[in-house]
Amino acid sequence: MIRFENVTKVYPTMTRPALADINIDIEKGEFVFLVGPSGSGKSTFIRLVLKEEKATKGRIHIAGRDLARLSDWKVPRMRRQIGTVFQDFRLLPNKTAFENVAFALEVIGKPRSLIGKVVPEVLELVGLAGEENSMPDELSGGEQQRVAIARAFVNRPMILLADEPTGNLDPTTSVGIMKLLDRINRTGTTVVMGTHDAAIVDQMRKRVIELENGTLVRDQSRGVYGYSR
Amino acid sequence: MRAQFVLSEIGIGLRRNLTMTVAVVVTVAISLALFGVGLLIQRQVETMKDYWYDKVEVTVYLCGKESEVPSCAAGAVTGDQRDEIKADLEALPQVKEIFYESQDEAFQRFKARFEGSAIADNVTADALPESYRIKLKDPEQFQVVASALTGRPGVESVQDQRALLERFFRVLNTLQRIVIFIALFQVVAAALLISNTIRVAAFSRRRETGIMRLVGASNLYIQLPFLLEGAIAGLIGAVIASGLLAVGQYFIQDEIAPAFAFTRFVGWDALLDIIPILLLAGVLLSGLASFFTLRRYLKV
Repeated sequence: MIRFENVTKVYPTMTRPALADINIDIEKGEFVFLVGPSGSGKSTFIRLVLKEEKATKGRIHIAGRDLARLSDWKVPRMRRQIGTVFQDFRLLPNKTAFENVAFALEVIGKPRSLIGKVVPEVLELVGLAGEENSMPDELSGGEQQRVAIARAFVNRPMILLADEPTGNLDPTTSVGIMKLLDRINRTGTTVVMGTHDAAIVDQMRKRVIELENGTLVRDQSRGVYGYSR
Repeated sequence: MRAQFVLSEIGIGLRRNLTMTVAVVVTVAISLALFGVGLLIQRQVETMKDYWYDKVEVTVYLCGKESEVPSCAAGAVTGDQRDEIKADLEALPQVKEIFYESQDEAFQRFKARFEGSAIADNVTADALPESYRIKLKDPEQFQVVASALTGRPGVESVQDQRALLERFFRVLNTLQRIVIFIALFQVVAAALLISNTIRVAAFSRRRETGIMRLVGASNLYIQLPFLLEGAIAGLIGAVIASGLLAVGQYFIQDEIAPAFAFTRFVGWDALLDIIPILLLAGVLLSGLASFFTLRRYLKV
């Protein structure tokens, strides 16, 4: 589903590459933790998958398609198949929970009738059945992240990318979010999650890919967070 | 593409940025009004040219009693000389019409033109020359007539009114060019202002546009509200400019034109010709400025 072949990414202002000669192969349906200290390249990985940035060297394949060959105007369509969740939730503050999730469908031109049917379903899936009309500032952090996950998932994407989704949440709430992501993964969505949260990684025992200073130092199925230092 | 969505985004955008939208509308209105004035002046000049060239005459001034020109050494023109000159004029193929103005007639015309001023009271019929006013089939053929008649006994001078008009029209043409130059300058200013406004609008909406990009909205869909915002502001500006020009036209037509009876002014039809041009220019100007600004700013 996601394949990085000898991928190197150098940002113009940096002295060392953000990612150096990375080889990663993630199959459909996997759940992968991306761990490593800040600046290790986790966010860069996610941006490369979204084609927010282009790789300096190497090849990236998403669902079998070479990203380099994807023309710029086709990128939006590709992104519709990738759901994203971020540490800061990235909700629109002037829209209700329903409208936030609906936004993802509106901007790609889905009809009102479909939106009216699908959005309540997915809000129920994430456990926010009664909160359609709440504004983000009326929701707790955990609830806001659930809305974000609902938005990411409403299009039934192939891949869900999460960049430190529990970063702003307390441990208990984080567990709830992880359970949700696990449920989503079990529906067949490939999940890649960048995180600092050692407890969660240790608890879930999924595949762990560790980056350090842009290089891949560990790729372990059923791994733990701990640095083997 | 959901029309409702796009329309609501445009509404939000226009209202949020009201001050800057107003600034855009005003600048576009002024630029296009000036541009419109330039176009009207250009048409005015063309109309005047047509009107005047049609009336242009070659004037053959005949010797009066006081003429000091060599060909008038014999004094005032005699009846024979007059007839000869007339016959020659009629024989010239370039001549279309000949009209004779006697001293009395010249005097009456002079008095009518300068009615009320002191000069009219001080002049007598004798001071004004007799003349043959000639309309040519082709105004360019003035030289032929001039060379045929200059220096003939009885002819004081041959004057081409067109030479006078040429000078007048050169002034008008320069005026026209200046106005258009100013207008273009204003148009550039308007484009820059629109560009800045759109940039501010895009900046204040960067959260939304960022999420739109993340969620996979196509570039056009993201740009469309901004483009239409710009285009609407431009259209309103153009409408205001048209309104200003119409008011000006009304003013000219009813107040100034009657006082300037010697020439014809452009009518409402010229204005109606120009208004669509202005509207189109307003929309295109704003639309294109928005499009290119967004491209660079949003990397979209």
